[in-house]
Amino acid sequence: MNTLIPFVLDILVVSDSTDSLATLYAQVLASGHEASTAQSASEALAYVQDHEPDLVLLDLENSDLDGFELTRRLRRLHEDRLLKVIVIASSHSDERVIQALQSGADDCLPRPVNAALLGAKLRYFSDVMLLQSRLARLAQRQLDIVDNIADAVITLDVNGHVEDMNSIARVLFDPRLPSDQAFPWQGDDFLNLLGVTLAELLTQRECTVLCTDGRSLEVDVRHIEWREKGFLRYTLLLRDLTERRAVELLQNEFLATVSHELRTPLTSVLGSLGLLAGGAAGSLPPAAMQLAMVAQRNGRRLSRLIDDILDLTKIQSDQFVLHQRTQPVGPLLVEALVASQAYASSLSVKLEAEGIDVHGDTELRLDTDRFLQVLANLLSNAIKHSPAGEVVRLRLSLTVSALRVSVIDRGPGIAAGFHSQLFKQFSKAEGDNRGGHASTGLGLYISRLLVERMGGEIAADAAVAHRSVGASFSVTFPLAYRPTLNTLAS
Amino acid sequence: MKKLNRVMCVEDDPDIRLLVELSLSTVGQLDVLCCADGSAALASITAFAPDLVLLDVMMPGLNGPQTLQALRQLPAMQGVPVVFMTAKAMPAELESLLLHGAAGMIIKPFDPMTLARDLQPFWKYGRGS
Repeated sequence: MNTLIPFVLDILVVSDSTDSLATLYAQVLASGHEASTAQSASEALAYVQDHEPDLVLLDLENSDLDGFELTRRLRRLHEDRLLKVIVIASSHSDERVIQALQSGADDCLPRPVNAALLGAKLRYFSDVMLLQSRLARLAQRQLDIVDNIADAVITLDVNGHVEDMNSIARVLFDPRLPSDQAFPWQGDDFLNLLGVTLAELLTQRECTVLCTDGRSLEVDVRHIEWREKGFLRYTLLLRDLTERRAVELLQNEFLATVSHELRTPLTSVLGSLGLLAGGAAGSLPPAAMQLAMVAQRNGRRLSRLIDDILDLTKIQSDQFVLHQRTQPVGPLLVEALVASQAYASSLSVKLEAEGIDVHGDTELRLDTDRFLQVLANLLSNAIKHSPAGEVVRLRLSLTVSALRVSVIDRGPGIAAGFHSQLFKQFSKAEGDNRGGHASTGLGLYISRLLVERMGGEIAADAAVAHRSVGASFSVTFPLAYRPTLNTLAS
Repeated sequence: MKKLNRVMCVEDDPDIRLLVELSLSTVGQLDVLCCADGSAALASITAFAPDLVLLDVMMPGLNGPQTLQALRQLPAMQGVPVVFMTAKAMPAELESLLLHGAAGMIIKPFDPMTLARDLQPFWKYGRGS
């Protein structure tokens, strides 16, 4: 913590001796604090009530009221306030000091008051009060925030007993009158009311809970675990998902509509061109045929671009959901090879598998469709850039903790300057148009997003990137099932 | 086994209707009846007695799934496979369409030169099930 800026105390000096009052008053001012005076107990009580000073310096010598009694009254006056009381006593016996402290005084000084000692005590109380006021401000600010956020915040112990909740939690879930809400709930009565168990709240990301108005509310659940003197506590944050669900629905509807509106005219354009080029409307003169083919090729490209942009919009939305499940990876790789076979054959490129055990039990947590989409993208890139007669290899390699799938081609490789652009949007290498399959420049970018969302990494392998022939792209995933030493040995 | 011969197409877009008709009749040598909406299809399906129905998903009035539901009530539709035509959107949506009892899916834009051939597996699948 930084050095404390001196906190100027507002001090009430109380004494029924005029001399003593003047001396103490001067001493307080000399130590850099502000002072007011009172000459009787009743005057002192009235002042404290009206002005709320930080500290009372109480000289008991000739008091018309018992000084200890005054201390007790001052304490009662401001039970929740941080008022400090220093008592000055002529007899400095332990008994008097103890009596003063028991009455509620914070400290006791012997008379005659030593100016340096008073100054030191006041500095100490000034530091304490500064810290206390900072803490109080912080606590108040925190309370204001917690009470004004849209999420319900509930603190429970391990038995589901509620210790604290914010105002939105009370409004949503506490059916009692506001005047009764200060009293604690018994046992797990509160959770029973919500219709959930503590275990459900702690293990599920989303829950359905009952509100006091009878609604079932879908909520996102987050929890913070903390300990107080060894006892476990949970602070739960429940966020109403109603609005998010509505946005999700709207977005899905929007995407479906855009998709329909873009694809319907494109279907007619491509269909007509397909029929023309296919001779369904009679044979075309060579020049007209060539033009029909140009239009068809570019129409298909536009179609792929629309697919990719819609796909990207979906993936980038907050509501994008992967359907990941743990599954053997071998069969997926075989499926990917089969799916790309036709395109490879059309360009006279061979596909080969390396290290792929179809019946292997190497498992990954994947979204099947999205993983196949990534592989299809990598394979089609590799095939497109391979010279006729060459081989594209799909290689599976395994370490103790990760699995790597590489797609390796023997095409022209990646130009040195293009390496950093590979996984960005709309990045296209030269000579990309081979086989009439011009890319949209979104494929690798989409693949990267998908792989990262599934918890993996995608990279162009550096060793190959600098070689004159070929490129290699790899996706690496942490293993869902870690092979034990036994399985590694066998 | 009987060949796939008669196809009914329900599609609201007149251009796509024309394309489907040319693809299936001129290229695919099939008998085709195109209807502009679900009610027209319901009115003429018994007389036409198709082997397979090709059904657009997003249509004004009765949409694809609703038309399918209505068609399924008719005796003429016993064992006749229905294939949806859709501008694909979400995989989840495609799945739910199949759950409606469709035999399969043709994704728009489709290839008009192979459409008749592409329908064959659905027809066989539909017959077999």
